[in-house]
Amino acid sequence: MKKFRFALLCLLVLLALVLPIFFRSNPYNLILLTTILLYGVLATAWNIIGGMGGQLDLAAGAYLGLGAFTTGTLLIRFNLTPWIGIFIGGLVAVLFAVLVGLPLFRFKVKEVWYALSSAALVEVLRIAFIMWEKVGGPVERYLPSYGSPLYMRFGSYIPYYYIMLTLLLAALFINFWISRSKLGYYLIALGDDEDAAAVLGVGVRSSKLKALMIYAFIVGVTGGVYACLYGFIHPNFFSSPLSTEVAILGIVGGMGITYGPLIGAILLVSIRELLRANLGGQLESLYLVIYSTVLILIVLFRPRGITTLLQDGFNKLFSRWVRKNHAE
Amino acid sequence: MDALIQLLANGALMGCIYALITLGLSLIFGVMNVVNFAHGDLVMLSMYIAFWMGSYLGFDASLTPLITFPLLFIVGIAFYYSLIDRTLRQKYVTQIAVTVGLMTFLRAIAQLAWKAQPRSLPYSLISGNFQIGSVTIMTSRLISALVSILVIVVVAIFLSKTWAGRAIRAVSDDFDASSLMGVNYKGTYALAFGLGSALTAIAGGMLMTFQQVDPTMGLRFGLLSWCVLALTGLGSISGLLISGIIVGCAEALAMGFWDPRARMLVVYMIFILVLWLRPRGVFGRK
Amino acid sequence: MQNNSILQVENITKKFGNLIAVNNVSLKVHGGEIVGLIGPNGAGKTTLFNVISGLLPPERGRVLFKGKDVTGAYPHIICKMGMSRTFQVTKAFASMSVEDAIRVGAYNRHTNKETIRIVDQVIEFCDLGKLRWRKCADLGLAALRRVELARALATEPELLLLDEAGAGLNPSDLGALMDILREMNQRKGVTLFVVEHVMQMVMGLCEKIFVLDAGELIASGVPQEISQNARVIEAYLGKRALR
Repeated sequence: MKKFRFALLCLLVLLALVLPIFFRSNPYNLILLTTILLYGVLATAWNIIGGMGGQLDLAAGAYLGLGAFTTGTLLIRFNLTPWIGIFIGGLVAVLFAVLVGLPLFRFKVKEVWYALSSAALVEVLRIAFIMWEKVGGPVERYLPSYGSPLYMRFGSYIPYYYIMLTLLLAALFINFWISRSKLGYYLIALGDDEDAAAVLGVGVRSSKLKALMIYAFIVGVTGGVYACLYGFIHPNFFSSPLSTEVAILGIVGGMGITYGPLIGAILLVSIRELLRANLGGQLESLYLVIYSTVLILIVLFRPRGITTLLQDGFNKLFSRWVRKNHAE
Repeated sequence: MDALIQLLANGALMGCIYALITLGLSLIFGVMNVVNFAHGDLVMLSMYIAFWMGSYLGFDASLTPLITFPLLFIVGIAFYYSLIDRTLRQKYVTQIAVTVGLMTFLRAIAQLAWKAQPRSLPYSLISGNFQIGSVTIMTSRLISALVSILVIVVVAIFLSKTWAGRAIRAVSDDFDASSLMGVNYKGTYALAFGLGSALTAIAGGMLMTFQQVDPTMGLRFGLLSWCVLALTGLGSISGLLISGIIVGCAEALAMGFWDPRARMLVVYMIFILVLWLRPRGVFGRK
Repeated sequence: MQNNSILQVENITKKFGNLIAVNNVSLKVHGGEIVGLIGPNGAGKTTLFNVISGLLPPERGRVLFKGKDVTGAYPHIICKMGMSRTFQVTKAFASMSVEDAIRVGAYNRHTNKETIRIVDQVIEFCDLGKLRWRKCADLGLAALRRVELARALATEPELLLLDEAGAGLNPSDLGALMDILREMNQRKGVTLFVVEHVMQMVMGLCEKIFVLDAGELIASGVPQEISQNARVIEAYLGKRALR
């Protein structure tokens, strides 16, 4: 079974690597794939604080925007290449994450306050950056082009696809590695029972903070790439709808399962893009209606996520196949 | 100086309404530990219903609570039984998640139905204003504030004198003891959720007499009520009023002296400051 | 190790609002001992444990562990120093397997590779081999209690607080538990501080017993003395008569 899984994984990665070749002539599909990968990274990173850490984080947009603005501003003002800038963006995101998380992860403070603060953080940063004319302001700030790969600017979408794919693989790997590590065990334990975990040596606050910092860093770095992808920065990057979407993807996909949120991203983002293609901008909010309905249904009836449905189905098929082939 | 008093007056009056909105939130939170993320959007919803009733049925906005209060009460109970009840046994994340889903749903529906255009009603029975010294007070704001205070007092009496009200308090204070004494927790939870939601209808209706509504109001009222709740803590109704007024005044001062866009910024800064310094709230009993 | 007091409770008072759950309790536990804490229901035993293990801060008084003041310290810090506990109402890690739950405890003092070895040892010691891969949520009471014990043991404590570990166990499970505890004490030198109602366990295991009633320490001594102490008998019989 394990060998089969590993082989499947390699196959998928290989497929992902060669996919862009099929879409060379159709940039729209490439953009769609890159967008799916983007949400895949965000949702997979979210899993660290949400699925494993047990916190309903609604601040993905905050860290994305911080990463974007840091990278963009460093490029605009100091000509610093985004290849370095994105990591500084990640660090800035971590700084803000700690500012919010430190007081709120104190022993016995209810999780809901973190959820509320994170939701508010996004909005506030958005307003703050609209008001901060020097760095932000209500108009897009375009990143100087230079047309050079050295500055993470490319002629086509293909390189961005590969960058996103790299980020996704990194996020998946980090997820996987954490789940097998002390931090992973500690996070699941305190998710099940904080008191019992604490008396067994689990530092509740430090574990949650570590998860938050890792998540914020990944999202911040992604934000930097995001800015280069779009070619500009704008305070609307601090997006509440995006933050909520990321959380929905994580929950619907399957919290705690490494590739769960990715599946959620693939499913739901495809639906959104399909709607957008067929119904146009008029009914944009429709996808949110669908997202929230799916979220509610999943939470009520299958809280462990869609991926568990797929896993169960897969296991059934697999055992049937095994029985067939071994019965003779 | 005059400007200052004007701002404070407006802020204080708005603050009373914020306190009323937060009362609903606090009721639900105190009883079942669930913060309804969709609470602010319920205010928005009742404002839109008031708008609809005003435009098409000729109702005065201030009278709409007569219909929207029982309506939202039933809706709240329906939400409780269909959504909240099932998740109570699950992890906390999923409990909050379902209200986030509800919030997203309501906001998206509002966006679809009414687009981003703000809607308002042209006039109301209680429109107009009057002067106290150099300060102009809008009658609608004053009456809205007074109604809010009145409702808060009525709810306080309800909680301390009636059997249902005391059941609610008992369940918030000590779940185990109250269930031992035969308090039906499901019914009490549903009642609290229904009542908490219905209170937003009053606020929404009153707000519609002088404000406009758009789909982003949900977020704004949500944040305002969380801030007031954080400031108050649990268990203190007079604290709610004081916190509401503080937040209202802070918001008004920010808009007047700093930047109109800064209103939410200041509210959030208060929110985060309270959570940093005193997560239990400044006025809470516990 | 025999002569220094590993745990010193000094004048601990814990209130819940107006209710005084623990009233000015002082006691000492010496390294290597098996000490019992008994008393009628509601006497404040679990509350005292909660204060000692850092889950609740006391209104007044100090807790000294291995000579250091740990009053109100975070539970995980106290665990790192060498104290762990089990709970009266089992707090299982429902989503984890037995093996993983024990591993959480093992991480207290060990890194990734070493924990596998520790987990194996503890599972053997507590006879959980057959249940190793079962989910904690699926276990019966007796097994859960053993898992709680195993988890705490994996943290390699010097002092272990056990809150009614024997409650609800049938005689053979009880005997097995007592054997494990004796071995822990004699072979591994773990000091045991045991809250218990099951008299067989108290009398059979403990060298010294403290008695709590209505939040106050009313007696202390060897099992023989306690079983004949008038105040203790009154505390138990008196409550029974009221029912």
